[in-house]
Amino acid sequence: MKNRWLSLLIYLVCSLVGIVSLLYPFFLPQGTTGAQPGSQRSADMPLMLTVLLGLALLVLVYEVQGQAMNTKLIALLGVLVAINAALRFLEVAIPGPGGFSPVFFLIVLTGYVYGARFGFLMGVLTLVVSAILTGGVGPWLPSQMFTAGWVGMSAAILRPLLLGLHKKGRREEIWILAGFGAFWGMMYGVIMNLWTWPFIAGPADQYWEYGVGIWETMQRYASYYLLTSFVWDIVRAGGNFLLILGFGMPALRTLRRFKRRFTFMYKPTPAPVAQSNLSG
Amino acid sequence: MSTQLHTWTWLAWLSAALIAISVTRNLFYLTLILLCLLVVYSFIEGANQRGAYPFSLLRFGILVSVLSMLFNMLISHFGETVFLTLPEKWPLIGGPYTLEALVYGLTNGLVLFGILIAFTDFNQAMPVRMLIRLIPRAFFPVAVVISIAVTFVPTTIRQFYQIKEAQMLRGQRMTSLIDWLPLVMPLLVGGLERALQLSEAMTARGFASTAPNSGNTAHRLVMVGSMLWVMAGWVVSTRAGWETLGLGLILAGALAFLAALWWAGRLVPRTNYLKEEWRTGDVVVLTGILVLGLALFFPFEWIDRESLYYSVYPLLQWPDFDPWLATALLVLGLPAYVIGLRG
Amino acid sequence: MISFHDVSFTYPGASHPALQSINLEIPAGSFVLVMGPSGSGKSTLLRCMNGLVPHFSGGTLNGTIRVADMDPVDASPQVMSRKVGFVFQDPEAQFVLDRVEDEVAFALENLALPPAEIRTRLDATLDLLGLTALRERRLDTLSGGERQRVALAAVMALNPSLLVLDEPTSQLDPEAAEAVLQTLVRLNRELGLTILLAEHRLERVLPFVDQIIYLDGEPGRMLVGDARQVLAEVDLVSPVVALGKYFGWQPLPLTVQEALPFARLVQLPESSDVLISDIQATLPEPVLRIVDLHVFYGLKPILKGVSLYAQGGEVLALMGPNGAGKTTLLRSLIGLMKTEVGEIFLLGESIAGKKTADLARLVGYLPQDPNALLFADRVLDELLYTLHSHAHKPLSHRQNGSVDPETSIVEKAAVMLAQMGMANLAEAYPRDLSVGQRQRVALAAIMVAQPRLLLLDEPTRGLDAASKQRLADLLQTWRDDGHAIILVTHDVELVARLADRVAILEDGVISAQGKPAEVLAASPVFVPQVLQLFPDAGCLTPQQLINRLRSA
Repeated sequence: MKNRWLSLLIYLVCSLVGIVSLLYPFFLPQGTTGAQPGSQRSADMPLMLTVLLGLALLVLVYEVQGQAMNTKLIALLGVLVAINAALRFLEVAIPGPGGFSPVFFLIVLTGYVYGARFGFLMGVLTLVVSAILTGGVGPWLPSQMFTAGWVGMSAAILRPLLLGLHKKGRREEIWILAGFGAFWGMMYGVIMNLWTWPFIAGPADQYWEYGVGIWETMQRYASYYLLTSFVWDIVRAGGNFLLILGFGMPALRTLRRFKRRFTFMYKPTPAPVAQSNLSG
Repeated sequence: MSTQLHTWTWLAWLSAALIAISVTRNLFYLTLILLCLLVVYSFIEGANQRGAYPFSLLRFGILVSVLSMLFNMLISHFGETVFLTLPEKWPLIGGPYTLEALVYGLTNGLVLFGILIAFTDFNQAMPVRMLIRLIPRAFFPVAVVISIAVTFVPTTIRQFYQIKEAQMLRGQRMTSLIDWLPLVMPLLVGGLERALQLSEAMTARGFASTAPNSGNTAHRLVMVGSMLWVMAGWVVSTRAGWETLGLGLILAGALAFLAALWWAGRLVPRTNYLKEEWRTGDVVVLTGILVLGLALFFPFEWIDRESLYYSVYPLLQWPDFDPWLATALLVLGLPAYVIGLRG
Repeated sequence: MISFHDVSFTYPGASHPALQSINLEIPAGSFVLVMGPSGSGKSTLLRCMNGLVPHFSGGTLNGTIRVADMDPVDASPQVMSRKVGFVFQDPEAQFVLDRVEDEVAFALENLALPPAEIRTRLDATLDLLGLTALRERRLDTLSGGERQRVALAAVMALNPSLLVLDEPTSQLDPEAAEAVLQTLVRLNRELGLTILLAEHRLERVLPFVDQIIYLDGEPGRMLVGDARQVLAEVDLVSPVVALGKYFGWQPLPLTVQEALPFARLVQLPESSDVLISDIQATLPEPVLRIVDLHVFYGLKPILKGVSLYAQGGEVLALMGPNGAGKTTLLRSLIGLMKTEVGEIFLLGESIAGKKTADLARLVGYLPQDPNALLFADRVLDELLYTLHSHAHKPLSHRQNGSVDPETSIVEKAAVMLAQMGMANLAEAYPRDLSVGQRQRVALAAIMVAQPRLLLLDEPTRGLDAASKQRLADLLQTWRDDGHAIILVTHDVELVARLADRVAILEDGVISAQGKPAEVLAASPVFVPQVLQLFPDAGCLTPQQLINRLRSA
């Protein structure tokens, strides 16, 4: 029991650290530094926080790994990640407006059916494996992994909420999941873009700087965002929506069909105690 | 595809490259670093017989730099050398356009590009199995998942084409999204069935399921603790004047984290059978990296370290240039030399 | 080495037991064959040896099992892995890593052995199985046979004393299967390794077998004994054994070599001029005509001038060594390969430039792995899907049962299922069915559109004798209905039973074509056993020979 509380605590702490690392432009206290705009210090921030995010991610992965892994789930996760990574090749190959990503379909659905931990690892590892295979390892990887992991993890929260719908076999279940996928399609883009914001456009002042208030920063980010990845994200959100709506039901049925066989754990029946006849 | 250099050497080189890039904003030095990295890239690709010219990489880098340049110029209006002015009332893009902003954007683009090439070089130099072997033992179950995934991606892709052909022969036409269903479902189900078979095979070969989080409470606590320590160090370092203390805390926290990882790794009973050899090339590169580290951080008097911290603002001027530092930076090109020597 | 006392096992949720009251004693060093129709419990029995049943599968197990002085139920598969090595059927689904030496060393690394010892054992194991030359290769560049040998190496690295194999060669072609089986024999003879092997392809293995365990399908009925003893009582056997039983040869010959001396003593009546297979003398326009087909893979020529035809109402068997181009030929027929030179005519029309989806109305293709086709929730839906696709109807969202499709289409599907004897499976989930059933569902899904030409690519892999018979019956029914059938296979006995014409594709050209009796007799590789025993009789199957004897 104590173990579960510790796990929960660790999840919370890591998620908080991760969120702070991702959203730090909004959090920095005002006027904390006398650093000149454009100086070394402000250029280091993004890298520093990538490291912090990476640490939070590692701790989280270690925690989840400890609780979720038996041989069957390892094999299952491996194969599903392979399918997702293969799908990601498609994402790179499709011409036209980028942003469409088929990987969130499986991340959301496996998180929904197999639980938060499984969904988390599914998100994180899909990104890792496709980065390894396509050579796309870069400093943006920790943010991608963290956010994708969160997509999978949060999908599990829907489970108790939608249980009633599922039991009645109603189609609303899929519509809600599709909406969920669309939401995360947008949010993923928002968060990832946030990562590149101070980095690509540089911490020049008047634009992004230390110590400006939250509201001001949000406005600035909103304008940056609209100019850059908004269209990409709309495409991604729309793609997720359509994918889940189109393929969600059969995929859910399949995943559920296999669920019992994968989560089964053998419990040996205790051996009968041998009776020894001592009395004559 | 042999690794040419020891895994640890490549790691050290990668770290050196990343540190060098993040330490400086001097355009001369940055260009030098980028050149070295590109040369290494072409040698690696040449060794892998994949064609030796980094054209696509160059194109990407140019794209990134130009975008960053333009973007910064459009949005940031800081600086003193104005060459164009748009009416102020235009949102965001109104105001003076300065050369400083342009150059600053270019610099940032180059930094990003440099990081990208460094990682790409590393990725291309190391075969996937070596990359997987780098994963700390504490993450063994995750490493197994990654191995399985990497092993199964080619199978999955092949299966996809088989399924596509088979379904075409039932008269399936790809007219709408729904028509992808008969392609996706057999892939998914087939994968699940294969996962069951695989787990059976793994079990039969003695792969043990690990008990959930047993005996590693202390390890987890230390990991979380060291992470919080790093965070504290970061917070401290943002306060003016407390930077060095913050940096020290961060470093200490990071080391503690690594130690915790190593400690957690002891819990996993496993050995690594692969023995990599240390060769002269490794010695050469590692020595070079040491020299670079000294040049960058050790306060030698004859090295003008200030030239590293060049800043575009407020007024654009030519960056300083120290020949000693430049030579030290050339160290980053050593792997190309080593690979080239091997013929 | 192995002893079972009154062992019974039921899978979770099953209505009747998979194994019932099994008693066995197997001494160390034996080579034991486990036989029986699909679903008879062979796999279950094998998995009892290392504890996969019940640890991996669940269910209730009663009775005592002792394997290599251990109790598999009490120990677990993890512990048993050091004594029992298990090799599975699918060469694609057993590997974690993608390099030969990494995979073989994986289990050893998990035991935390010292690295130097791992390297020694690795070298020794690779050498034992002849894999040293392949050790740095990536697994996905290996053939199926090589992969199974790697699987063998991976379990042998742990130095087990018992090797259990569940149909290891069923996905392999005959040469590769031969290599694997010879390796097993060598391991048994040279190392004294006890081997427990379940297989359908019996012929190659019989001479080396010490015992046979035959599981009938009725739980509880099990035959154990010497090879000859057991085979004497079993129905579906190889032609040599079948003839041996018919003629009453003693001791019962297991191979052609053993049977030859007996066969020479048999007096065959004079051959009456009865043609073995009557092909209609009138030749209307053939359903398929291939004229001088050349196909290149890049610059490499695969097909170097193939001319072939297929008639309605006949089964054409296409045989040939691996890599000869059989699959390429099939793929050209369905429009998947570019033909540089030559023409293909389907019902008189050239197929050049036609899209595959259009050709699908005339040509049905059963791929090697029928699982690639099955995606729906019900068997009925699979057939409906094909019909909908051919009618150009868009696949509506709710097509899986809830919207009422046109009645005639449903009727067509129902008729098809009834014709194949699968009416009771209409609502079943296709992927839960057995291998043979799944293949028949796939066939139904293809044939429901009534294509004139049916292509089958290695349909007998992994099928037991009863399923093969059912498949042969089906094909004969369709042939009699006027369809043209091209069957690509290595299975000589099936060809002997079924084919009206045989063509052999070797090195990109058709080296022989004609009636089975002539072509098979002339080929050194593809001779049916009956012909080997009675070269002049002109009979291809035991039944034909027996009929000839009886009619004399």
